Amino acid sequence: MSRSVWKGPFVDAYVLKKAEAARDSGRHEVIKIWSRRSTILPQFVGLTFGVYNGKKHVPVNVTEDMIGQKFGEYSPTRTYYGHAADKKAKRK
Amino acid sequence: MRRAAGIGPPPRSILHDGCAMSELICVGAIAGAFGVRGEVRIKSFCAIPEDIGNYSPLLTEDGSRSYTLELTRAINNGFAANLGGVATKEQADALKGLKLYAPRDRLPSLPDDEFYHADLIGLTAYDTGGAELGKVIAVQNHGAGDLLEIRPAGKDSVLLPFTLVNVPTVDLAAGRIVADPPEGLF
Repeated sequence: MSRSVWKGPFVDAYVLKKAEAARDSGRHEVIKIWSRRSTILPQFVGLTFGVYNGKKHVPVNVTEDMIGQKFGEYSPTRTYYGHAADKKAKRK
Repeated sequence: MRRAAGIGPPPRSILHDGCAMSELICVGAIAGAFGVRGEVRIKSFCAIPEDIGNYSPLLTEDGSRSYTLELTRAINNGFAANLGGVATKEQADALKGLKLYAPRDRLPSLPDDEFYHADLIGLTAYDTGGAELGKVIAVQNHGAGDLLEIRPAGKDSVLLPFTLVNVPTVDLAAGRIVADPPEGLF
C-alpha cells in the first residue's frame, strides 16, 4: 500500500539540514547519512551522499531520475563481486 | 607475458573470481554436460551473456587448450553449446568447472571515458599531490553510477564515484589513475 499523498514524502530532518548546509557551503564533499529510509527530494540533485549500508558509507551521486526513491535502494547491504569479464564502466 | 619487477604497469592478475591471468580475461565457465550428445552447459559472465560466443575460440586458464564455441540455445542459467573437440557426454562431463578465457585484445575497443572493468582493476590510485591512495580492487554499480573500490594499504576499502570530477585521469598504459576524492572519503 502506498503512502498517502497528503503526508508528503518522508525525509529525516537531519538529512535535510545536512543537505542544505552542503549546498550552501558549495564544497566538494560526501554527506554522510545513516537514513536509508529517507526519500530523495529534488533539492538533493547534484549532491553526493554517503549512504550507510551497515559497514561503510556508499557514495550516491543524486540525479533527477532518482527522485522519489529511497536512499537505501542505492546502497546494498550485501556485495557480490562476480566476474569482470567484458563489463564496462563509464566515466561521467 | 613476463615483466621485470617494479617496471611498467602492474599485471592485471587479481580478480575476485580467483582467475589468475595477465592478458586473459575470464568470460565464462562450463557448468557440465547438457544432454547426451556432447553438448555442454555454459555459464556466461559477460555483460550481455550472448556475447561469449563472439570471443570464440576460448582458452583455458593456462592458455594450453583452445575450444571453438558455438551457442545452440538459451537454457536455464546459461546456454547450451557445442565445443570444438567435444563429441560425447563423457568428454563434456570431464570439462565441468573449467573456466573459459578470452584474450584481452579480442574485446572491442571502447569510446573515450569508457573502460573495461578488467582494465581498471589493479590500477594504482594517486591523489592530485602524487601520494598513493591504494589499488583498485573492484568496480561496482548499484544504480547510482560506477564506483571504484580502492583499497589503501592496511586499511578497509573505500568507494570512489567514477566521475570526471573525482577521477580526472585514467592512464592505463602507466597503470595509474589520478583521483581527486571528495572531502572525508579517505
